[in-house]
Amino acid sequence: MQNRWSAASAWGVVLLLMLGASDRSLAAGVPAGTDIQNTAVVNYSLRGTAQSTSSNTVSVTVAEILDVVVTLQSPTVSVSPGDTQQELVYRLTNTGNGPEAFLLTMTSTLSGDDFDPLPSVPAIYFDTDNSGDLSAADTPYVAGSNDPLLQPDAFVTVLIVNDIPAGLTSGNRGLSQLAAAARTGTGAPGTLYAGQGVGGTDAVVGTTGADGSVNGEYLVSDISVTAVKSQTVSDPFGGTRPVPGARITYQIVVAAAGTGTAAAAAFVDTIPASTTFVPASIQLNGTALTDAADVDVGTYVATPTPQVSVQLGDLTQASGPQTIRFAVTIN
Amino acid sequence: MKKGISSIVAGTLVLVFAVVGQAAGQPAAGCIVLKTVAEVEQPYTTDDGETAKRLVPAAKVVPGGEVVWTVTASNVCDKPAEKVAIDNPVPDHMRYVPDSAMGPGTDIAFSVDGRKFAPPGALTVSNADGSERTARAEEYSHIRWTFKNALQPGSVAFARFRAVVK
Repeated sequence: MQNRWSAASAWGVVLLLMLGASDRSLAAGVPAGTDIQNTAVVNYSLRGTAQSTSSNTVSVTVAEILDVVVTLQSPTVSVSPGDTQQELVYRLTNTGNGPEAFLLTMTSTLSGDDFDPLPSVPAIYFDTDNSGDLSAADTPYVAGSNDPLLQPDAFVTVLIVNDIPAGLTSGNRGLSQLAAAARTGTGAPGTLYAGQGVGGTDAVVGTTGADGSVNGEYLVSDISVTAVKSQTVSDPFGGTRPVPGARITYQIVVAAAGTGTAAAAAFVDTIPASTTFVPASIQLNGTALTDAADVDVGTYVATPTPQVSVQLGDLTQASGPQTIRFAVTIN
Repeated sequence: MKKGISSIVAGTLVLVFAVVGQAAGQPAAGCIVLKTVAEVEQPYTTDDGETAKRLVPAAKVVPGGEVVWTVTASNVCDKPAEKVAIDNPVPDHMRYVPDSAMGPGTDIAFSVDGRKFAPPGALTVSNADGSERTARAEEYSHIRWTFKNALQPGSVAFARFRAVVK
C-alpha cells in the first residue's frame, strides 16, 4: 500500500514537470544552457556478419536569446486639467529563453501630441497588488535597484504615473511612454554578447532587439452625461389620471456630450413612494431586460430601497442616446 | 616515498579520463567509422561581391535556429560493407525540417517511435479515435538512410538532415 501511494505521487510530479516544459517551449523556446546531443548509429553486414557502430556524440549548447515585449493594457485615459497621479498600465513579458533583468525608463516629452504629461515622483511602479491601478501597496521602481528579473515567458505589470498640467482644453492629447531593455544588452537582432548568457553561454539579441517601448495616451475630456426623464400615465379606465391602480411608464434618455469617455456609466433610479415596480418592465433601447442581477445589464432590487439600475458601460458622444423604460403602478 | 604515491595517483587519474573519453562517444573499433558534425549556415560575401552561404561549426544555436547535421561513414577495412543503414534520431529539443534529409544512393525512411520506419507518405500515426493519418514531418523522431549499394573499402558515404531548435 505504501508503495502504491508513493508511485502515484511520483507520477503526479512527472506530469507537472512535463506540462511546465511544454508550456515553455510554446513561446520562448528551449531554455538557454540546454545541451542538444546527437549520436548516429550505422548497421551493416560484413561477409554476412551483422555489425553496428556508433558515431561520436556531438553536443550543441542552446544560447540565451534576449527578447522582450511591452504592451499597453489601459485604453486612452480620460483626464481633466490639473488631475494628479493618472496611471497608464503596461505589461512587460520576457519572450527570451533565459532569466533576464530589464531596465525600465519612461518619458512624457514626446512629439505627436498636444501636451506633455508631467511625470510624478516616482513615476514608475510595479502593480504589486495586481489591482490594475495605483494603490498604496504598489512598489516604486528604482533603476538598478529592483530591475524586474523575469523567467522565460513570465511578465510583470508596470504602471507609469503622470500629473496633468492645468490650462488644457478639451480634446488635447498627451502621450507617455514606457521602455524596457534587457540588462545583458540590446541591439540589432543577432548581436552577440559572448559568454554573457545563462551559465556562461552566449547571449544573442532576438527579433525584438531585446528592447521595446509603447506609448500610452491621456485625453483631456469635458464629457458630460445628461438624463432626461418623462412619464406617461394610463389609468384602469382608459384615461390618464394618476389614480390607485394606474400605471406610470417612465422613460429616461441618457446621452453623453463632449470629448472623452464616461467610463462605466450606470443609471440608477429609486421607485417613488406609494408606487410598486411592475415586474419585467425594464427596457434598454427597446429591448426587454430581466429583473434579476444576471448576464443582462438591467436589475431591480426590492431591498433595502426599491430601485432600478441599468449598466450602460463606457459612453462617448458617438454612443448616441440610451433610452431606458420601466413601469410602476400607483398603490 | 611521498613523491612515489603522488605519481601513482596522477597515473590513476589519467586512466580514468581515458575511460570517460571512450564512454563519451569515441568511435568504437569496426570497419565503418561514423562521424557526426553539427554546422550552421553562415552568409558571406564571395570574391565576386555576391552573397552566398557556407557551413560553419555550430558554435551557438538559439530557439528557431537551424542546425545542419552531417553523418559520414568511412569503410576503413579491406572488405566491402553491405546492407549499410545509418540511423539518426532527431535530437531532443529539435524539430526536423521537412524534405531536408538527403544522402546520395540511399532510400530514406522516417519513424515517429524509432521502431516502425516508412517513407514519408507511407508513415502513419494513430489519432485519438483510433483512425490513422499520415505523419507530419515535425512528428518524425528518427531518420534512416539505407544504402542501395555496398560501401567499398576506402570509400566514404554521407547522410545529412536539418533540424530547428524548438
